Amino acid sequence: MSPRRIPSGGRIDRLRTIRFTFDGVSYAGHQGDTLASALLANGVMLFGRSFKYHRPRGVLTAGVDEPNALVTVLRGDVREPNLPATTVEIYDGLVAVSQNRFPSLAHDVSAVNQLGGKFISAGFYYKTFMGPAIGPLKGTRFWMMCEHIIRRAAGLGRAGHAPDPSRYERMNAFCDVLVVGSGPAGLSAAREAAASGLRVILAELDPEFGGSANWSGETIDGEPAATWASDIVGELKEHKNVRLLKRTTVWGYYDGNTIAALERVSDHEASPAKGAPRHRQWTIRAGSVVLAAGAFERPLVFPGNDRPGVMMASAAMRYANQYGVLPGEKIAVFTNNDSAYLAAAALAKAGASIVAMIDLRRNVGDACRALAKAAGAELLTGRAVVGTEGGKKLTGVKLAHFDEASGVISGEARAVATDCLVVSGGWSPTIHLASQAGARPAWDAELQAFLPPEPGKGWVGAGAFNGTFSTAEAIAEGFAAGRKAADLPPVKVDMLPQVEPAALDPRPAPVFEIRAKGKAFVDFQHDVTADDVRLAHLEGFVSVEHLKRYTTLGMATDQGKGSNVPGLAIMAEAVGKPIPEVGTTRFRPPFAPVSVGSLAAERFGDLKPERLTPMHDWHIENGATMYSAGLWFRPMIYGDPGETVEQAYVREAGTTRDAAGIVDVSTLGKIAVQGPDAAEFLDRVYTNVFSTLPVGKARYGLMLREDGIAFDDGTTWRLGEEDFLMTTTTANAGKVMQHLEYFLDVVWPDLRVHLTSVTDQWAGAAIGGPKAREILASCVTGTKVDNETLPFMGIVRGEIAGAPVMICRLSFSGEMAFEVYSGAGHGIHVWEALVEAGKPHGMVPYGLEALGTMRIEKGHVTGAEIDGRTTGRDLHLGWMLSKKKPFIGSAMMDREGLTAPDRLELVGIVSLDNRPLNGGAHIVMQADPENPHGSLGHITAACFSPALGKYIALALVSAGKSRHGKRAQVSDPLRNRFGPVEIVSHHFFDPEGKRMHG
Amino acid sequence: MVEQLSPLAQAFRPGSHGNFADGVGVTLSEIAPGSIVQVAAWPREEKTLMGAIASVTQLSLADGAGAGAVSERHAAFGFAPGKFLVTDTSEGLATALAGAVTSSAGTVTDLSHGRTAIRIEGTKAEWVLGKLFAVDFEQAAFPIGSGISTAHHDIFAQIQRSGAARFDLYVFRSFARSFWKMLCHAAAEVGYEVV
Repeated sequence: MSPRRIPSGGRIDRLRTIRFTFDGVSYAGHQGDTLASALLANGVMLFGRSFKYHRPRGVLTAGVDEPNALVTVLRGDVREPNLPATTVEIYDGLVAVSQNRFPSLAHDVSAVNQLGGKFISAGFYYKTFMGPAIGPLKGTRFWMMCEHIIRRAAGLGRAGHAPDPSRYERMNAFCDVLVVGSGPAGLSAAREAAASGLRVILAELDPEFGGSANWSGETIDGEPAATWASDIVGELKEHKNVRLLKRTTVWGYYDGNTIAALERVSDHEASPAKGAPRHRQWTIRAGSVVLAAGAFERPLVFPGNDRPGVMMASAAMRYANQYGVLPGEKIAVFTNNDSAYLAAAALAKAGASIVAMIDLRRNVGDACRALAKAAGAELLTGRAVVGTEGGKKLTGVKLAHFDEASGVISGEARAVATDCLVVSGGWSPTIHLASQAGARPAWDAELQAFLPPEPGKGWVGAGAFNGTFSTAEAIAEGFAAGRKAADLPPVKVDMLPQVEPAALDPRPAPVFEIRAKGKAFVDFQHDVTADDVRLAHLEGFVSVEHLKRYTTLGMATDQGKGSNVPGLAIMAEAVGKPIPEVGTTRFRPPFAPVSVGSLAAERFGDLKPERLTPMHDWHIENGATMYSAGLWFRPMIYGDPGETVEQAYVREAGTTRDAAGIVDVSTLGKIAVQGPDAAEFLDRVYTNVFSTLPVGKARYGLMLREDGIAFDDGTTWRLGEEDFLMTTTTANAGKVMQHLEYFLDVVWPDLRVHLTSVTDQWAGAAIGGPKAREILASCVTGTKVDNETLPFMGIVRGEIAGAPVMICRLSFSGEMAFEVYSGAGHGIHVWEALVEAGKPHGMVPYGLEALGTMRIEKGHVTGAEIDGRTTGRDLHLGWMLSKKKPFIGSAMMDREGLTAPDRLELVGIVSLDNRPLNGGAHIVMQADPENPHGSLGHITAACFSPALGKYIALALVSAGKSRHGKRAQVSDPLRNRFGPVEIVSHHFFDPEGKRMHG
Repeated sequence: MVEQLSPLAQAFRPGSHGNFADGVGVTLSEIAPGSIVQVAAWPREEKTLMGAIASVTQLSLADGAGAGAVSERHAAFGFAPGKFLVTDTSEGLATALAGAVTSSAGTVTDLSHGRTAIRIEGTKAEWVLGKLFAVDFEQAAFPIGSGISTAHHDIFAQIQRSGAARFDLYVFRSFARSFWKMLCHAAAEVGYEVV
């Protein structure tokens, strides 16, 4: 038997023993234990070290609000730090370690920080470590070294570097009513809403439904509260319209009742089921939300309130009643309200000795006195704990007379030997989600707590969330909330359920702090003391928002669940204003930490989907080196063994010019432009005229933006009188579609034109070269491809190997070339037929490098030149700017700035030192490696030209055309490339177009 | 006529996968209809177009966003205002519809090669799809025959409920393999069979 495990009772499965390790020591627990309850059962009191002072810390709470007992869980090489031991469910083989200590938890050298408390108070980072302003260390990196040391000394857990192999998933859900919290109020609400037949989701962050019913020790209508809860859960399971989500923390409340929740699917298992995620991120769209999230008990602020062995009263009660664990043998209770008396009674019933019942109120009700007496406790009213004793665990407390009205301590302090002090400073409703929903909390002077305001449009509250701490009333409120959320008429409840023991007075004394000598912690996790709060006030931080940032109060992983209200109260007292006038911070998501993996969900490891052409597998099988172009994958080269990239593309381009080559052009954007006004529409969006284009012909087109800058180019094919196939550049397909749809929907809604993306409908293969026509003729049936039947920019239909094809004679390479379009599902069939037909002629497949080389040789532009800054004239496409009609951009393209004589114009560049050129390199008149300056423009694309036998480039150069034939220099300081070049026409190769026109 | 080649290629692995020890939650298949056609109406010509669709497919479409119908051979649903996706197990639907839809009523666009049709069927179909799409798949909200346009991050998808526990998903062909892998991944938890 573990030293602190009660012989019987609790909701753990005592027949199931689970073994785990903490800091390398093996322990045993039971199914249903958390790491905290199992370690407490084993007598472990020291769980961690504090953030700044490295003070020893134990377990303060029993839930998600735990600030002290943070651990790191290891799964193989993967570390997950900063997990509250109070929420980690144990499983066989669990490995947990403490954090923020060196060399060990028991012997932490940084505990010496406690001696320097005054020097590392609030804001010490800002005040002290600004870097030496004078002296020998001024201007050195001394501060960086200090920062490194400080960062290592202070902090929480350490993240690992090993990749996380876990699965994370997302889930979208829709419901009429979402109930957050499954305590008595939430269960009552869910039952009522479910009975109406509406779709209900009940979310509970714990592993079990029931909330406080599982550990309150109450009876409801004569049966144990836990049984009452499990009966309702059983009922709910019978409803097909109800989804029950346990281990699910609702952490975000967004517009339109969109709720974010994290389900911990398999954290409690040694290994997840096959295919099961570790976490599931729920996005729930709810018609209405019932917030029944309960309340957090808050600590009292007094010297030594952080010593291991000091625990919240409700947590101690929960450990005893739910987990069968006593947090101490001789327990003292310190409270400012009635609820701790129930905890004392429960702990006494479980076998603990209650050595003192310390109540800072002078007057205590009869019910409390009776409970104290039943617990065998000495009742000490009008007293307060003024200090604690012990090292790494509590050995005693000191108490003194206390006046609750003035806060004055009087008389000699009395020592009480105890190994556990349970504390209650009142309750703070868990209003986080309502706050996120936009509601401003309202201070309740009776309950000394922020309550949710009047319910918003989408939610209704119930139970302790509303400040209703009586279980009977919470059940009634839940019932009413369930009906309201389900849009059912209210029903008057004549009789509340019978709950035993009867509720006590929920109103605490308005005391948050006992001001005595010693460190009294407000925010345990960030080591913020009451003196730090006052210091912040003294230094002028009067706003609660500034207080938070200066002291870091409430900024740790617990987000101040227990510390915000005491901190605010101390600040209010320092300022001399009532608490509501000082204000409160609003809560924002997440309510509790959320795994980053769950936010990425199924995108983890697969940031972008792959977009593949119909011929993708052929490219891979035939040795292509692929690279990504947006989401697409395209062949770069089909390299032979031992070939460099340059050797490969030079071979591919050279063979294409000498014989023939084939390239996959399926990625080009393709848009079906259909309807009676399609031609008119194209006249408006292109700079040139399309309405005169005959059916069966294609035309090269240029589009401008509204501001006159070039936007995109491509060919558009007229397939029918009212049916066009527009092609765009691969990269701009989406943008062009949006551009066109915008004008059609917003500017010209009267035009009867439909646009449809048909990029994926067609597989495209371009074959070019002197042998291209011969190759095509050898495999196409149903049409001729001679000059008469298929002139330049002509379109014919036929079949290749039985598959229907559409062939357009156009050229990007400058060769006699044809684009062969087939249905995408026939793409590989047609491609292979073309490749086979090309073999006798020496045709090779070529990739984007060779394609780029040939287009540079021809001076054709792409996105590198249509870069969002150039005009049609800059690119020598002025001949395409129709003067017969207006078009998008025509009103703005003649602006002074766009017609200036010194604008960057497209030119060709030839390397005169026979060395490669690079994109992005500058063109200057005189290169100056020491002081690069005087840029005339830049290179946009470069290659080795097999046709010219030289390194060449395209460039945008100021007044470029006027510089043809002139010498200049390339200046590329990043790559240390300088040298002479000649500026020439961008038409390097076959400027008359004899080859492509045949 | 040459058979269309599936874009799923080696990613299509027939058999049971994932957590199927206690049976599979869904079956996944590529249904490869012979025809997938988009029909789009000019403003105020929707009814004319619905009549044309009915004359070719014998499917009667109700008014309302996403309304649709399915038969052994055909399926049709509205995926945008005035726009419908119509399928046929056989080829030639685009030609048939082009004969029934006049240019004064709307346009017909053949997408038989451009879209890949994937079917998910089984008791866990809604659960698996819920992982990928922010769509209410419960039958009360998404009745048999109805359809929707949606997206999974970069991948546009049109989804039709073709049975009580069956959905047909139409995605761009170039994305199909990536989408299929993602769908299989999402289905692993409930066990899936590729048929």
